[in-house]
Amino acid sequence: MASKDAATDGEIVRAVLAGDVERYALLVERHRDRYARYAVKMLGSHDAAEDAVQDALVRAFDHLGECREPEKFAGWLFLILRNRCFAEHRRYEREARLPEEAAGSVAAPDRSDGAMERRERAGALHRAVQELTPEQREVVVLKHVEELPYEEIAQITGATVASLKMRMHRAYDRLRELMKEHV
Amino acid sequence: MKKPYHDLVKRLLDGELRLAELPPDLRAEGEEALRLLGAVDRTPVTLSPAVTSRVMATVRERTRSPARRAWRWLVTPRNVEVRFRIRPWLVAPALAAAAALVLVLARPQTPVSSTNVVFVRFMLHAPGAKSVTVAGTFNQWDQNAAPLIPAGTDGVWTTTLALPVGQHQYAFVVDGRRWVADPAAPAIDDGFGRRNSVVAVTRQGARTL
Amino acid sequence: MSAPWLTVAMVAVAAHLPTRSALASQDVAARLEGRAPAAVVKAVQTIAQDAAARGLPVEPLIQKTLEGSAKGVPAERVVAAVRLLAARLDEARTALRDAGIATPEPEALEGGAYALSAGLSADQVRDLGRVSRPLYDPALTLHIAATLTALGVPARQGVQLLLHMIQAGRTSNELLDLPGEVQASMARGASAAQAAEALDIDEGALGQHGSHGEEGREHQARPHRP
Repeated sequence: MASKDAATDGEIVRAVLAGDVERYALLVERHRDRYARYAVKMLGSHDAAEDAVQDALVRAFDHLGECREPEKFAGWLFLILRNRCFAEHRRYEREARLPEEAAGSVAAPDRSDGAMERRERAGALHRAVQELTPEQREVVVLKHVEELPYEEIAQITGATVASLKMRMHRAYDRLRELMKEHV
Repeated sequence: MKKPYHDLVKRLLDGELRLAELPPDLRAEGEEALRLLGAVDRTPVTLSPAVTSRVMATVRERTRSPARRAWRWLVTPRNVEVRFRIRPWLVAPALAAAAALVLVLARPQTPVSSTNVVFVRFMLHAPGAKSVTVAGTFNQWDQNAAPLIPAGTDGVWTTTLALPVGQHQYAFVVDGRRWVADPAAPAIDDGFGRRNSVVAVTRQGARTL
Repeated sequence: MSAPWLTVAMVAVAAHLPTRSALASQDVAARLEGRAPAAVVKAVQTIAQDAAARGLPVEPLIQKTLEGSAKGVPAERVVAAVRLLAARLDEARTALRDAGIATPEPEALEGGAYALSAGLSADQVRDLGRVSRPLYDPALTLHIAATLTALGVPARQGVQLLLHMIQAGRTSNELLDLPGEVQASMARGASAAQAAEALDIDEGALGQHGSHGEEGREHQARPHRP
């Protein structure tokens, strides 16, 4: 088993395509959590994120023969997941679902417990981020949660750095408005 | 209603400025903004191990069922003859005299090969025609490059061409002067006031679009 | 953490290098000699040179010239059509770049130009390009969208139908079946729009909803919880 763990993503992809399907589990284990945080922030809940990641991993398997650069499996998987997150948003919009609660209950404003207050603010910010447009939410998540520079975000989204900054700056104002009770 | 953050504060949030670089009258706003974003939760997320077992269960199901072995197609070379059903409405008497059908013989090369070529048969029902050719992007619109030959006594003309994978525009040329798109397939304006047909060739076969 | 994110950019890069302007010009003259009048060749050379300098493929322009000349179309009309095609290729490239495809392949650009001339908007080309990656060839999905429009399906509806099928994970062959299925319904008496709607309902869609990706349009993602 030790030698198999040392295999690169590309080697595992080629092995799976050659028929060793069980080795796909290695890719799943390796990348299952890599983009989980992104999915949680984009979709608002842990459950929705799990569904999306699971779906993306299955879809990646179905189309594994089309992965043009097997060594870049992770990046290819991310694109599939990203599509899924945006598609999921469209479905939620259509079915008019209410935003899921983040972990942690809404604390009463006069609590003096610092940790409780911090958790409450984190929860409020999470909910506020869900109120942004999906494009705004993504740039906030990629920049301030995943801590990517604008140049990388531009490569991922296809937007220019200038338009990303515009999007982000609008998001800052929106978040300020949504969070006004917590400031 | 909170007013928008000052531009400099936004640049602070973007990481382009430090708090100390803000003018004194904006420091408070800058601190407020940093506090707001500081609340973001960056804790890494771990999904349930059940995700792995659920994915692998689906994966195993896929490989068991023969109908869903499409993914193997791209890896395993096969010699296949695929004939598409003639769509019934194409032979309806209400249609105009010419009806074009495209049947496909698909013989994919080995997956390692760089030539992705599919054999496509073109057919035109044109009784009374003296000559029929097909011209398109696959033969530089040369109306003499691909003649069809009569395939019987009922006015059907046919030829088979090797086409690369991709989308190709084409039209039939009847008697050297009449350009005829496939009347049964949706045709696109060619930019000259006439119409072209499109055939989409994939490794699995070809369809008129 | 940076490595896997960066690889996304690598996946998108095509192996195609932009044609050098001078070579493109020679290529045009050689390909058109004897097939098109001298005035047309000269004009198309200029258009192709400019297109190549901007990194656009020249082959579709050559094909369009050959087509017009073969069909006996007057010279000015051929040149006008080639010029229009060059503009559409440029527009398609902008749209596909907005879709996150840093270097669209020539076939994708042709598909985009084709879709634009069929009546799709740049935004629709962008949306299709974005959703197609990485599992579907944008050249294919754009051609299918253009064909649906040519059949009479309203562009927005055709694009939505394709988006739903792509999200549902349908195979490329199933997408290719769409124009035929719409035609079959129309042969039975439905309008193109009705045919597309019926297919969309089958796909599990629940009616109209907004397209995503509008820059600057602020709308509530979900109903606001007090």
